[in-house]
Amino acid sequence: MKQVLNIFKKDVRHYWREIVVSIALLAAFARYDVRSWANEGLVGYAYEAGSFFFDSRLLSGLVDVLLPISWAFVIVRVIQGESLVGDRQFWVTRPYEWKKLLAAKILFILVFINLPLLITDVFLLATAGFSPTHYVVGLLWMQAMIALGLLLIAALAAVTASVVQFGLALLVVVLYLIGMGFLSEQIPSSSFSSSIGDAVQTALLIATPLVVILLQYSRRKTAKSRLLIAGFAAVLLLILLATPYRTVVAHQYPRLEARQQPPVQLALLPPEKQNDGNVPANQKEVEVVIPFSVSGVAGDSIVTLSGAMVVIEAPGGLHWNSGWQSKGWSLFHEDKSIAIRFTLKKKLFERIQSQSVKAEISLALTVSRDQNRTEFVVPQGEFVLPDAGFCDVRGLSYEPDIECRSALRTPSSLLVTYDISQTSCPGVEGQARAKPGEISRSWHSHSDSGPAEFGISPIKTTRFGTVNNASNARAISGFCPGTPVILSNPELVRRTRIELELNDFHLGDYQDRSMRGSAWR
Amino acid sequence: MSAIRTENLIKKFRRVAALNGLNLDVPEGAVYALVGPNGAGKTTAIKILMNIFGPTSGRAEVLGVESARIAGRAFRSIGYVSENQELPEWMRVGALLEYLRPFYPSWDRALVDELMSQFDLPRDRKLGNLSRGMRMKAALASALAYHPKLIVLDEPFTGLDPLVRDELIQGLLERAEESTILVSSHDLAEIESFASHVGYLEQGRLRFSEELAQLVERFREVQVTFDGPSRLPEKAPEGWMQLNNSAAVVRFIESRFEPQRTRAEIHGVFGEVRDVTFSPMTLREIFLAMAKTGRNAA
Repeated sequence: MKQVLNIFKKDVRHYWREIVVSIALLAAFARYDVRSWANEGLVGYAYEAGSFFFDSRLLSGLVDVLLPISWAFVIVRVIQGESLVGDRQFWVTRPYEWKKLLAAKILFILVFINLPLLITDVFLLATAGFSPTHYVVGLLWMQAMIALGLLLIAALAAVTASVVQFGLALLVVVLYLIGMGFLSEQIPSSSFSSSIGDAVQTALLIATPLVVILLQYSRRKTAKSRLLIAGFAAVLLLILLATPYRTVVAHQYPRLEARQQPPVQLALLPPEKQNDGNVPANQKEVEVVIPFSVSGVAGDSIVTLSGAMVVIEAPGGLHWNSGWQSKGWSLFHEDKSIAIRFTLKKKLFERIQSQSVKAEISLALTVSRDQNRTEFVVPQGEFVLPDAGFCDVRGLSYEPDIECRSALRTPSSLLVTYDISQTSCPGVEGQARAKPGEISRSWHSHSDSGPAEFGISPIKTTRFGTVNNASNARAISGFCPGTPVILSNPELVRRTRIELELNDFHLGDYQDRSMRGSAWR
Repeated sequence: MSAIRTENLIKKFRRVAALNGLNLDVPEGAVYALVGPNGAGKTTAIKILMNIFGPTSGRAEVLGVESARIAGRAFRSIGYVSENQELPEWMRVGALLEYLRPFYPSWDRALVDELMSQFDLPRDRKLGNLSRGMRMKAALASALAYHPKLIVLDEPFTGLDPLVRDELIQGLLERAEESTILVSSHDLAEIESFASHVGYLEQGRLRFSEELAQLVERFREVQVTFDGPSRLPEKAPEGWMQLNNSAAVVRFIESRFEPQRTRAEIHGVFGEVRDVTFSPMTLREIFLAMAKTGRNAA
């Protein structure tokens, strides 16, 4: 312990500037975080000499970026203080015991990164009105997740000799991730079935930096350690390339059995507009929109279109497959239609647009049951929503939203439903009211079941926005004090897959002329 | 008993062999000078001994411990100073010594004060602001302060002015009784003044290794003067190096000098000669002759 403290004290003396900067940024982060959910609004600082105004949100965003950078910098500096790379280091021929050296570095990171963060989190929880003692496990969980991020930085710092070298290594990592992202987009279905190999990847993500750090501290085998990191990157690439995505999706979303009632009935609708068959010369891709009528969604059910895949078979043996594409479009019992979009290469579209093709559309559906329905009237000022924490009404004078701040986690599943016609919002002069029975919903859900979500701040905000579904899009809407709403907690019931077969289908009839960006809706 | 022993030590950097079967034996209590030209493998050998990196093959033992196991506490008995070692330049001299103190149970504060005074080291100056010579003195002070059993110095005198060299050597010699010293250098003049043993490393191999006194004793520059024109022998005895002649004189270097035997060999080769002189050689002259001859004189 004596040696650990000796090294620790030396590091504190050497890196006090880095520590001060990192803690100052953390303090700034806490200040801006409190302001973000305390609704202090925009604060402008005017320079007397000029007309520059600094939006506090801009500064807050800057602090959000600089804080992790400052942590990374502290870690790199403190680890490279006793560099593990090279053969000229002073310390390697001194009686340093590697376990004690490593312990000193861990102690430094715990004291000057984790502890200030923990204190800040406790402060933020208390300021936000939550009792920190009720969230000890969650706070420690957050620390563990932050520590995992720091572990990756520490592993890179352990195999590089200087901040510049670390920066270059980080650049390589970023380029690798961009490359993986690009590759993932090129591999059909890979972006939808993101859970493939997750357990393996997580295990490797924790094990690799740990092994690298231990190998470096115990033996300073830099070449082997770097090789290990490269091997880890190669394994991730291999997982991306070799995963049988469609099989996994089929397993996750089993096909509806013959005796089972489909959670939703879909029927092809005629195309909205007559198409002239021409594709603008500057377009490289063509978007196709297939509208379906929706029926059969039970009153207490929510059917979420999680993903879709389109297979087209054209005369002459042409076979085209879109692969599984992610979506998140929820259908309620009152919904009447849905449009499924996909893009084709212009060349292919022009070749088959006038042909009679067979289109097979597979839909991955997540069925939830809307339960625990409670009537609630939005009160004046701050109020408590179960699972969502402290909430209030925010936003512009028209269409205000409900914003909630919760401790460590956003609500796992909370649906806010209201009849637009019953809004208590005053609207503006001349604005009409919606017809009774026109419903708007805002659903927040996530599948993460850990005691805390990843992030620096323990305060998570959720905004329940209003979507004006009224036939009159300019009708008064929004949550205001006095607006009656229904709160419920939809629960996952099952995942399933349905397949639609469209014979004698003419793609040209369904060409979307607006080409509005996203491939799916 | 050996303080350092290596057996057939080989170190390759990719395809280049820096050490090519090094067999080194440094007796306990010796002041062993490992000499040789630049690139001979001296620093590589020392870094293997200090476990800064491992050998490709072969083995090395330092104070009875396999070099690959030298780490942590083992360095309580070893003082290592190298010309290319990166010191914590942000530290002040006094702070460095204070920082190192808890690492060594045998740290001698009185000795530190003595060395600080002897080396004229300023406690409150940052290492990064010191001259090269002062930095070396600070490094040496920090390596001597705990009475190490073995002191390993890698090119400690390179680029230092004569005054600083003398101070460093003086500091070392005062500690020589309690320690074994291994010092590498390509500057032979100062080695001669304090080394007890010398090893000559060339192209990763130890050409010879022996006590310095014996080495100096067995090398002589020989001048043979004839009455008439001189001539070079067709076959010279083993140990004769760099034979050359001019007018009535033949000169060569004898690497196995023994007065009577050498005289007998000269008469055997040349017959009657007018005069023979034997001149002692400095270490520098010996190594120059060795390097030029490029043959194994051992």
